[in-house]
Amino acid sequence: MSEQLALTEDQRDCLQEVVNVAMGQAGDSLARFLEVFIHLSVPRIRLVAKDDLGTELEGLVGGVGSKVSGVSQGFYHIEDGKGIRGEAIVVFNDTSFKELADLLAYDEELTDAAEKELLMDVTNVLNGACLNGIGEQIETELAYSPPTILGQHVPIADLLEHEKLSWGHALLVEISYTLEDRSFNCTMFLLMPGESILVMKEELDKLLEDL
Amino acid sequence: MSIPLLICDDSAMARKQVKRAIPDGWDVDITLATNGVEGIEAIRSGKGEMVFLDLTMPELDGYGVLQKVKEEGHKSIIIVISADIQPEARERVMGLGALDFVKKPIDGKKLTEVLNKYGLL
Repeated sequence: MSEQLALTEDQRDCLQEVVNVAMGQAGDSLARFLEVFIHLSVPRIRLVAKDDLGTELEGLVGGVGSKVSGVSQGFYHIEDGKGIRGEAIVVFNDTSFKELADLLAYDEELTDAAEKELLMDVTNVLNGACLNGIGEQIETELAYSPPTILGQHVPIADLLEHEKLSWGHALLVEISYTLEDRSFNCTMFLLMPGESILVMKEELDKLLEDL
Repeated sequence: MSIPLLICDDSAMARKQVKRAIPDGWDVDITLATNGVEGIEAIRSGKGEMVFLDLTMPELDGYGVLQKVKEEGHKSIIIVISADIQPEARERVMGLGALDFVKKPIDGKKLTEVLNKYGLL
């Protein structure tokens, strides 16, 4: 199965550019929201097996044991259940909350509930822009479900434990938003399971044919 | 004589999109670079009198290329073509000596308009 799911070099390059454009739009939205300059880096794309997801995420987000909080939002093709679908997951390092509260001039004490609100706000800003950006380019209108908290102050591998139930392999796209001179760092993961990868591959081929 | 034009972008798709957006009949001699390090090497060897430059790239990003071009005193005319649409990204590249900024996905009409604006066609 994983051979069928693997992206060709052209497809990987194409998806990376599609994500790059969407990331630019999401970065701009976040920059306006926080009134700062967001540093963008090249998005990373990989096909992961279910059993390796935890290790992959630890590698991307900052190692074993580092605690994070995260929000997940499902997205799907608006017309039917057969198109592209997946989860957009926004992950914050625990150190980022103070910075974020500071930037948004948030005076109250940073309780779990307050952090949850911050997480939801940033997730809405990022996911809306990013998913619309991807949808526009592949000419697919993506709908999304309400965001849900995956966990607060937990190791990253635990955060996505329940995400792995329905698939063997998934496409993992990592988009990182960093603030200069501050410790705020927020990572967005797009996780697209098995069947959805095949649909995505077809969409990418269409884009490549148009070139 | 054709103008040496460098397209510097890490994405093969983006390089093709930019190539396709180049106005018909513009007499250019195109060189491709896949990151900033290759880009600056091409500029040093005279292949980038005109440069279409991406910002988010591995090895050396677009800001790094602009910085180096400035430090080394090359006379390249650089137009940044990037998905980073933050107003501050534009200000920064202009501050580093870029001639203009065109957003991705690239629109051929827009590129022609910008080239015309500076009398480059």
